[in-house]
Order: sequence, then C-alpha cells, then structure tokens
Amino acid sequence: MVLSQKLHEAFKGTVERITGPRTVSAFKEKGVLSVSEFIIAGDNLVSKCPTWSWESGEPSKRKPYLPPEKQYLITRNVPCLRRAASVEEEYEAAGGEVLLDNEDNDGWLATHGKPKEGKSAEEENLPSMENLEISKNRAVKLTPSYFGGDDEEDIPDMADFEEPDNIIETDPATLQATLQSTYLVAHEPDDDNILRTRTYDVSITYDKYYQTPRVWLTGYDESRMLLQPELVLEDVSQDHARKTVTIEDHPHLPGKHASVHPCRHGAVMKKIIDVLMSRGVEPEVDKYLFLFLKFVASVIPTIEYDYTMDFDLGSSSN
Amino acid sequence: MAERQQGSGSILKFAPFQSAVDEGFWHRLSSLKLNKLGIDDSPIPITGFYAPCSHSQVSNHLTLLAESLPDESSDQSAVTATSQGNRNRCSVPGILYNTNTVESFRSLDKRSLLEEEAKKIWEDIHTGKAMEDSSVLSRFLLISFADLKKWSFHYWFAFPALLLDPLATLVDLRPAVKWFSLAEAESISAACNAWRNSSATADIPFFLISVDANSHATIKHLKDWETCQGNGDKILFGFYDPCHLPNNPGWPLRNFLALICSRWDLKSVQFLCYRENRGFADLGSSLVGEALIAVAQGWKDLQCVPNAVGWELNKGKNVPRCISLAKSMDPTRLAISAA
Repeated sequence: MVLSQKLHEAFKGTVERITGPRTVSAFKEKGVLSVSEFIIAGDNLVSKCPTWSWESGEPSKRKPYLPPEKQYLITRNVPCLRRAASVEEEYEAAGGEVLLDNEDNDGWLATHGKPKEGKSAEEENLPSMENLEISKNRAVKLTPSYFGGDDEEDIPDMADFEEPDNIIETDPATLQATLQSTYLVAHEPDDDNILRTRTYDVSITYDKYYQTPRVWLTGYDESRMLLQPELVLEDVSQDHARKTVTIEDHPHLPGKHASVHPCRHGAVMKKIIDVLMSRGVEPEVDKYLFLFLKFVASVIPTIEYDYTMDFDLGSSSN
Repeated sequence: MAERQQGSGSILKFAPFQSAVDEGFWHRLSSLKLNKLGIDDSPIPITGFYAPCSHSQVSNHLTLLAESLPDESSDQSAVTATSQGNRNRCSVPGILYNTNTVESFRSLDKRSLLEEEAKKIWEDIHTGKAMEDSSVLSRFLLISFADLKKWSFHYWFAFPALLLDPLATLVDLRPAVKWFSLAEAESISAACNAWRNSSATADIPFFLISVDANSHATIKHLKDWETCQGNGDKILFGFYDPCHLPNNPGWPLRNFLALICSRWDLKSVQFLCYRENRGFADLGSSLVGEALIAVAQGWKDLQCVPNAVGWELNKGKNVPRCISLAKSMDPTRLAISAA
C-alpha cells in the first residue's frame, strides 16, 4: 500500500472514531447519506431486489451506529462471464463511455454513450476478429487462485489421495462431468469447449467518513475458490483499476477485498441528483442505492448483480 | 447449448450440489481450534446455507459462512434470528469432522461417514421429522484438516443422496412455462413469490403445490399431503433448486424422492424444480418433470437403509480441496503487506 494511502487511512480512522455519525440529511445538498437514510435505502433495495440481503457480519467488527442485524448489504454468487478488458473493446466499438464530469480529469464515466463520430465506414466494418480473439483468451484463461500460485509449495501434494476404493460412487443417476457440466458450453471449439465463469459476492457497507455507501467485491474462480483480490481488478473497468478501485480490509469480513474507493461518491451522486432535479424529478432518498449501483456498474461493467428496479432517471430533455 | 437431452424413459439424472466456503468460515474455525477446541476432534454440528438458483447461468452453492460454526462462547452454531427467514440463506444442517493431522484426515473412513449421515436422513424420513423440518433432507458432511502452521485448509464435502432401487425414470421434463397453462403459471408464480417473501416460509426448501380446476395454485407444507388428497387438485412436489441446468434437476430432489417413495404409494411423481431470476419466481428456468418410481418393499422398513452416494468431486476427481489463507492469516505476511 502506498504511504499516502496509509496515512490517509490512519487519519480517516481517527476522524471516524471521534466524530459522530451523520444524523442530518444532506442527500440533496451533498449527495451523502445519514446512517438512518442508509438503512432506509438498504431496506428498499432488499425489498425490490431480493437477491440482496442485510447481514450482521463478524460480531467483533460490528459498528455501534448501525443496527446489529443491518450492518451491511450483500448479494452472493453473481456471475461475471467476461473480463472487463474484453468488454471495453466492444464498448469502444459501440460508442464507448462519456465523462460525466468534464471539468477535471478524475470524473466518473457514464456507460452507453453516443457512438463516436467520425468513425469511418472501414473502421466499422472491421471484423470483430480482434475482439473475439482477446475476449476468448481473457475469458478462458485459467487464473491462479489461492489454490495455486506462489503458495503451491506450501501445500502438500494430495494428488495421491485419490482413493476410488474407499468411496465407490458408480451411480448412473449422478450427472457426470459434474463441475464442468455446470458451466456454459461455448459454441466455439476452444480448448475444452467450456466457458468458465467467475462469480462474485458484492457487498455494500456504510462509510462513516465519506457518509456514502461503499462497494466491495469478493471474487471466486471457476470452481468457487477464492480469487486473489489482484485478479478481481481484471473485472473492473481498466480506467478505474488501482485508481478508484483499491484492495483493502473489509469493515465486516476477514481478508482483503477489492473496493470502489468512496472519496468521489458524494460528488458523483450530487451530480446525478442535480441532473434529476434539473429535469424536474424529485429524487427520493430510498432510491439512493439504485442510482448508486447504476453508477457503480460503470466501474464493474461485467458483474451482473441486481439493481434492476426500473428507476426513472427522468425523461431526457436533451 | 446443453449437450444432452433427457428423453422419455431414461434414468433421471441429478446435477450434484456444489460447495462454497467463505473465508470467514476458516477464520472462525481457526480461532475455535486455537482458543476453544484444542485437540478435541469430536464432530461439530454446522449449518450450511443455500437458495434457489437465481441466475440462469450459474448454479447456487451450498455455502459455509463464519456463522455456520458455533460461537466460541456457545455450543450451538451461531445461526441467529437474523438468518432465520432470510430468503437468501436457507439453513441446512451439517456435520464437521476436523482432524488434527493430515494423516488422520486421509485415513477417515469416508464410506462409513457418508453412510452414517445417510442413515440420519433415512431415520428423519421414517420418523416424520423430515415432514416438519424438510431441510434435514439436504443434510451434509464436511471433513477437514486445518493446518494452522501454514494457514492451509484441506477439506471435502459430501451431500448424501439415498439411492432409489430401481432408479427413477424420467417421463417428461420441460420448462414450467411449457407445462402449465398461462393462468396456472401466473397463479403459481404469485404463490411462490408470496411463499418466498414471507419470513415464516422463505427458508422452507420443500413444499407442495396444489393447483385446482380453476387454475388457482396454493403452496402447502409437506405435512398437509393428506388434506390435499381427493379433491381432484393437481399436486406437484416443489423444491428450491440450486441448479441452473435446463435439462437436469438439482441434487435436493434425490432425497425428496426418497421421502415420497417411502411415505406415499405413488407410481408417478410430478415435481417442480423451483428457480428464480433476480429474486423472483422464474417459470422459464424452473422445470417441471414427471418421474416413475417403484421401489422395493424394503423401503417401508426403517432397518433397510438404502445405499448412498455424494462425495463431491474436485475438478472431476475424487480428491479433496485445499485453500491457503496465508495471505490473510499469517501474521508475518500481514506485517510485510502492511509495511
């Protein structure tokens, strides 16, 4: 971890300890949430998108300002079928992304922008061979997890452990090929005909310092073994990897997890709210997390978590 | 997309349950081992969690979390009121054999351990306990060796399934939308969503669906079987299916069929593999099947425990899994990464 990041974490921790949680609403003014607004927005997310639920997490890590049974939100086992880098290339072809915030360079990106103008016909007609090649390599590449990698020498060799006589399991009613058969079968005849699928647990915590929600990603490889957080960065928009997406301790769970750093969340949410209000839409605080997750989707474009409630962002007047 | 179709008259094949262990489970097991259990290696009751398949492209797993283990201060697993009624966390009872050495891990008699758990399921079917608390039908077993010097964990799951003899044969299996009329499908979706939204029933994974002549569906508890008889309603056996495959039901149906075989004299069974999309009933991915069952007379006898299968394969092989958590548990490594 960079020293400046460390210093900031220490500072943030101290401020969090000595200041009380936000109690006055500043949702429209600053794009931030008070603790009780976070609970309201979380309750609404859980009821509208039921794959999300509240969890209490590690008892020793519980935050006193949140109800014990509503410490954070989580949705588990969310598929991530492709690596972000391959999606981005397709995006570029489809029009790419637009900066929401043009004044400075650290603005957030909005997806589904207008197709880039001036694209010549030849360019558009370019066969997608290149994309295909890359996406195939990226998607099918076997990635090291905690299972292997540099820890390999620490793990006793258990290959000789296979004892077919100890457990006789010749059962015609068991679907064979087991693990592999549960993956999607790709149409392309690549190495073993199988598109492997990573999955994610996505959690949302309340960040007391920034007074905004914060998103965390726990990745699992194709056989549901924990993914090293560094590999999670492959599933993050490359504009954000290692910049706005960092690897840190989860406030409620053990281990290091990838997280979208919340330092700009308030500002971005404020901008979204301003756009809504300029269109005559009165934003409601219980819909905060739907808006929030829509913008988080630009950072993690390939993770198909549930934020599907049809939320009217306002009729586009432009 | 799927390479095999199950035709009429073929053996009904079930997609195995898959396990997933949260990092928090191993952290709590380590601290339990260090602070409380010591070298005591008696089996520990644990709780696994699962939910119906919620995405058409991935199956759900039987998941272990920190709360799956007992608290250090109590002997009960730490499943509290917060997870009861949590629709994404249907509790399943399990048992953990954590050995002290890698040698004793290897020498565990896996066959008899599996038989022991299968016997519990069989007894729960016969005593009627499975009618009251159907989660016992998915009872599971975990063996492990926690190498706390290297922060690595060797483990192996088993999901015991009682073998029908003869095996069930499939008459028909198709998406639920193609089985029911539109009116029936709508009523079933609404009834299932109501069942899943009520905290009293959200985590009850086995149930009955009764559809009357007016296409109106109601969901009932297994123990209400007798009261559903004789009024001409269509009765289906429903279960939360963790599997996403379009041509196979998931593992929990196996012991459900065993229960149906041993309790009721049915030759033909209609079942619903209940699956969701984004948290709501999805009759497009849910399956309805019809299977023929005809088990031997011994099935009425508590003493004749059927054979069982269920050790989980690791990448197609009969080997245990291993995870190293040195990165998040080893104090020296933590100190280095924090420097």
